[in-house]
Order: sequence, then structure tokens, then C-alpha cells
Amino acid sequence: MNVLLVEDDSPLAESIATAMRAQGWRPDISPRGEPVPASLLQDPYDVLVLDIGLPGIDGLETLRRVREQGSTLPVLMLTARDAVEDRVRGLECGADDYLVKPFALSELLARLRALVRRHDARRGESLVLAALRFDTASRSARIGDQPIVLSARECIVLQYLMLKTDSVVTREQLMALVPGWDAATSANALELLMSRLRAKVEPGGVRLRTVRGLGYRLELAAPE
Amino acid sequence: MSLEAPGRGPNSLARDLLVWLLVPLVALVPLTAAVLHTLALRPALDGLDRALTDTAVALAQIVEEKDGRTILPLSEQTARALRADLLDETFFAVGDSQGRLLGGTPDLLALAPPLQRGQWHFFESALGGRPVRVAAHGTACGPTGAGVCPVMVAETLRKRDAAERAVLLAALVSASVLALAMVVLAMMAVNRGMRPLRRAAADVATRSPDRLEPIDERSVPREVVAFVSALNGLFARLREAAAAQRAFIADAAHQLRTPLAVLRIEASQALSLPHAESLRPTLERLHAAAERGARLAQQLLVLARAEGASLDPSRRMERIDLARLAAQAADQWLQPSLDAGQDLGFELEPAWVDGDSLLLEELLGNLIHNAIEHAGPGARITIRSRAHEGHAQLCVEDDGRGIPAEEMATAWHRFRRGQGAVGTGSGLGLAIVADIAQLHGARATLSANEGGKGLRVCVDFPSAR
Repeated sequence: MNVLLVEDDSPLAESIATAMRAQGWRPDISPRGEPVPASLLQDPYDVLVLDIGLPGIDGLETLRRVREQGSTLPVLMLTARDAVEDRVRGLECGADDYLVKPFALSELLARLRALVRRHDARRGESLVLAALRFDTASRSARIGDQPIVLSARECIVLQYLMLKTDSVVTREQLMALVPGWDAATSANALELLMSRLRAKVEPGGVRLRTVRGLGYRLELAAPE
Repeated sequence: MSLEAPGRGPNSLARDLLVWLLVPLVALVPLTAAVLHTLALRPALDGLDRALTDTAVALAQIVEEKDGRTILPLSEQTARALRADLLDETFFAVGDSQGRLLGGTPDLLALAPPLQRGQWHFFESALGGRPVRVAAHGTACGPTGAGVCPVMVAETLRKRDAAERAVLLAALVSASVLALAMVVLAMMAVNRGMRPLRRAAADVATRSPDRLEPIDERSVPREVVAFVSALNGLFARLREAAAAQRAFIADAAHQLRTPLAVLRIEASQALSLPHAESLRPTLERLHAAAERGARLAQQLLVLARAEGASLDPSRRMERIDLARLAAQAADQWLQPSLDAGQDLGFELEPAWVDGDSLLLEELLGNLIHNAIEHAGPGARITIRSRAHEGHAQLCVEDDGRGIPAEEMATAWHRFRRGQGAVGTGSGLGLAIVADIAQLHGARATLSANEGGKGLRVCVDFPSAR
């Protein structure tokens, strides 16, 4: 995965880049925002990580210029402030997600993976988790080479879960996906659907975890 | 400082005022009485003297010339009539121009001073051992009317003494009533005059480091405006100092964030990369310290924000559903609780409050973090939200170790960590919860969970309007 990391604090930039390389990603570092729009046109990046507090034009302005030239690249903002205004402004300028420093490495990597996965799905590419693969174009799932037979509803729900891998998805969110479902009549129906789906996907090295009282989370199965 | 009771305290304005009003009054009352006495007595005594004069004039009319001699043809009845008086004994004596007695009391005539014609003379003297008031008059007599005959009238002093006593009493009573009225009025006036000061004092008493807005200078008397304005100046400087301190904390925590991010990333990288087994404890401690430092910086920022918000009356409050807030927290806290071997669950009903979303997020985060830290492996942690009886309630409960009852009250204090505390807690968590709760008009309570096992922390918010 190709990442453009825009961060003026060089120890932090190096630190993040090293961690990304350990994941097999290919990060480039830019300490300033000005050259970013041009770089994005030149090289095919999968995701942009943008610090808000930059010398020269700040992260928000950089993002505005990036979006101005029509780029739909997923963007994660980093901020050292947690003021709500900053978050709102970041999202308004077209950021897809944000993280407040000091974040945990695992959090940063998970957010970036989720961003890229969503972006890929929008472009009709496959969603992959362990051996489980969901093809968004044909709306079909496979474990390795074995196709999984899914009902229409299971298909909608699995696609959503694959997009939101490692995030908690609430029952309400899932019910809103299926037309004609409402909370009163379908709580049991949803539970039934999820247990059928669990039986179908968990052989693929994933885990469909129930979050008590709230919803579900699709994640990698813990290594035995 | 007490303005309530005059006379208490080393320096009482009310007492000073009263002393300055009442001490002169004490001196003025006898003086007033004396003046009143003098002024009222004179006319009374003059009236009595005039009665003597009348008798003398009547006597003088009776004196006549007969055969070249001056005589006083006074019948016994007329003499009695002239002496008639209810209270006093009256005497008279008339002499001829040679000073010989024509009629009346000889002893009285002996008191006659040298008199010009038509002259009046009043004096006090004694007659038969008793004090008397004497009116002496020189009337024209003799064959040619060129002689001067003394006409003397005297009376004892009973009427005069009575008049004097009555006037004295009137003067004393009126002066005393006046004095009493002035004392009462002075005390009322001082008390009333002190009222704005007491109000201002009560106003000052409501100020605290969290609430230092100026006192309205229009609400105090002109005389204390300077004082109140100086006080307001002090408040302003205190506010500035507090703001500067908060800004410093925020800035310091802010500056800490980037290096802490590096530390966190490097520590977890180091743990995940191949390393010598002997290094593992060191790396784990490094990682834990980085996590703790990161959390502490975050908490200090939140505290600064919460304290800043409490001073800002125009702070923005949004309508927030606690159920939604809790659901959003799931993403952040599910993994840490799983890593601690715990079961994190939810029982959420809609519960709307007016609040600052960032601060409420931090409040809930602190409660969950605390539960994860303290409940121990295998514990079941449940986050609840519900609306009941006009409150919106947010609870985090666990069935873990709990804390001793005697630590429950002190658990809210900053940097207080329980006896059995483990993990990455800074001891700020519950203090932050209490601060944020207070800012939202909410009440945070810590209790043993139902069944006595584990801990339950609930925050009761007023429902959103």
C-alpha cells in the first residue's frame, strides 16, 4: 500500500513510516503541505495521512487544495488538538477520518486499512479479510477458492461488515441496511441471520464477534 | 469581616458611626435640657413677678395724702384680699417718704432698698427665716407728690419652686425623648446604611476560583465603588492568572502530544519486532509508561478544557443522546477490555442531555477505563444509559474486585489512587468525571454493585430541555 505521510515533526514521521514499512507498506514523507497536490498527481498513492499543524499552508488548506483538483483519495487527518471545531473543520474540508495525537500505532494502522478498504469497495474491488474475500462487483463471497452461498440479506450484511472490519457495528445500523426491517419485529430475525452468517464465514479465519447488548464486530480470528 | 453586629471585630464601621453619633448626643442632651430649662423658666417666673407687681400697684393706689400726711387707708378685708393666695404666703409693707411704716409687715419694709420714683426692684430675700421673692416699688407720695414711698410685696417661693420643678421635668422629658428617638434613628440609619455593604459582602462571598465575574458597581453605594472596583480589578487579575495557567497546561499537554505519539509508536513497534527475551520486561514497562503518559496528557487537556468551559458562560451545549455516546465509545474500548480478558457489554436506552460532546466522551472514557483497570480479568463490564424521573443516567458497572467502602469517598480526589491500584491509572480519572459532571449539573455517585460484588459508577444528568 502506498501512503503519503505529511508530517513536519521528523521523529514522528520516521516513527510512523518505520511502522508502516514493517507492515509491508510503502510510505513517502513530506514535511510540508505545498508540494502535496502535485505529488498526488505524479504518484499513485492509496491513502494520504495529513497533519493539521504544518508550517506554511496547514493541513486543512492542503486538503482543500487536494480536493479542489478532484482527488477522491482517502485522507486521514492527524491533529494535536482535540477541539471539536478542529474535527468538524477537518471533516468539512473533506477528510475521511481523523486521529488525535498521541494515538496508538494499532489504531492508526486499523483506521488506514478501513479507509483504503472502503475506498477499494467504492471502486468495485474485492474486500479481503484473512481467507475471506467479498467481491463487491459480483456481490459474491469466497473462502479461498470455495464460493460461499449467501442469501440476499446475508450478502448485504456481510458487505457492510467487511467494509467496517474491526469496527463495532450496531444492530440498528444492520437493520437499517435491510428494507422492511424494524427493531420490534426483526431483533430475532437479525440474530438468526447473524448466527447463520457466522457459521458460513468463520471457517475463513475471521471472527464475527457479538458485542453484548450493542451489535457485532468482524475481525481476524485470534491465532491459536 | 462581619458587618452584622456593630461592636464586633477590631474595626467596625457601624460601631464607629454609632460612637460618633451617640457620644456627642450624651453631651448634648444635658445641654439641651439646660437651655430648654432656662428658656422656659424665665417667662414662668416673670409671670409670677407680674402678679407681685399687680399687688404692689393696687397698694400704691390706696396710698393717699391727708392733712399733710401720707396714710394707707387699708381695711382689714382689703388687706386679706391682697394677701389671698392658694399656695404661698403673701406679705406687704408700705412706708412713707421717710421710711416709716404706713401698713403691713415691718420686717419687710426693713428690706426696702433705696428707690427712685417709679422704679421697680425685684430680689430674693428671707422673711421670718423663710425665703421670699420681693417686689419693691417707689411710688410718688407726699403733699407735693415729690416724695418716694416704698411699696413692698413679698411671697414665699412655693409657686416658684413648683414652676421650676415643672419646667425642669418638661425639659428633661423632652430632651430624653429626643435623645432616645435619635439613638433609635441613628441605629436604624446605620443599619440601613450598612445594608448595601452587607449585600456587596454576600456578593463577594459567592465568588470562588471558578466564579470570579465582577460585582456590578452600580449596585453598591458611591462610597464603596472604589473598593468594589478594586475588588473587581483583583478578580480580573485572578481570572487572567487562572486562564494563563490553564493555557499553560493546555499548551504543555499539547506540546507533549507529538513526542508522546512517537514514544507510543516506538514502544509498540519495539515490542512487536523480534527482540532478545531479556529485553521484554523493559520494553513492556516502556510501553506501559508511554500509554500512561499519553493518557495523562489527554486528561490534563480535558481538565483544562473543563475548567475553561466552567468559566465561559457562553459555552456551546448540544443535545446529546447518552445511548449514542456509549455506542460510539464501543469502538475505542472493546479491544482494551478484550485484551484485559473482560466482557464489555451495553444496555442502552435513549437518554438525552445538554452537554459538551467532547467532555462527555471523556467522562465516559474515564469510567470505562477505570472499570477495565480495576475490575480485573474475567470481569463483566456493562455500560447503561436510561432516562427516568426527569434524569438521564449513565452508569458503568462491573463485577470485579470493587474498592473498599472507606476509599469510596476519597476516590474522587485528584491523583488519589486506591490501595490496590494497578495498571496505567493516573488517579485523575474520577476527578475528571466529577469535574465534568459538575459542569453539566450532574451528580456522580460511586457505589458497590448490586450483590456487593464489583463497582458501579453512575452519573445523573438533568434531562435535556
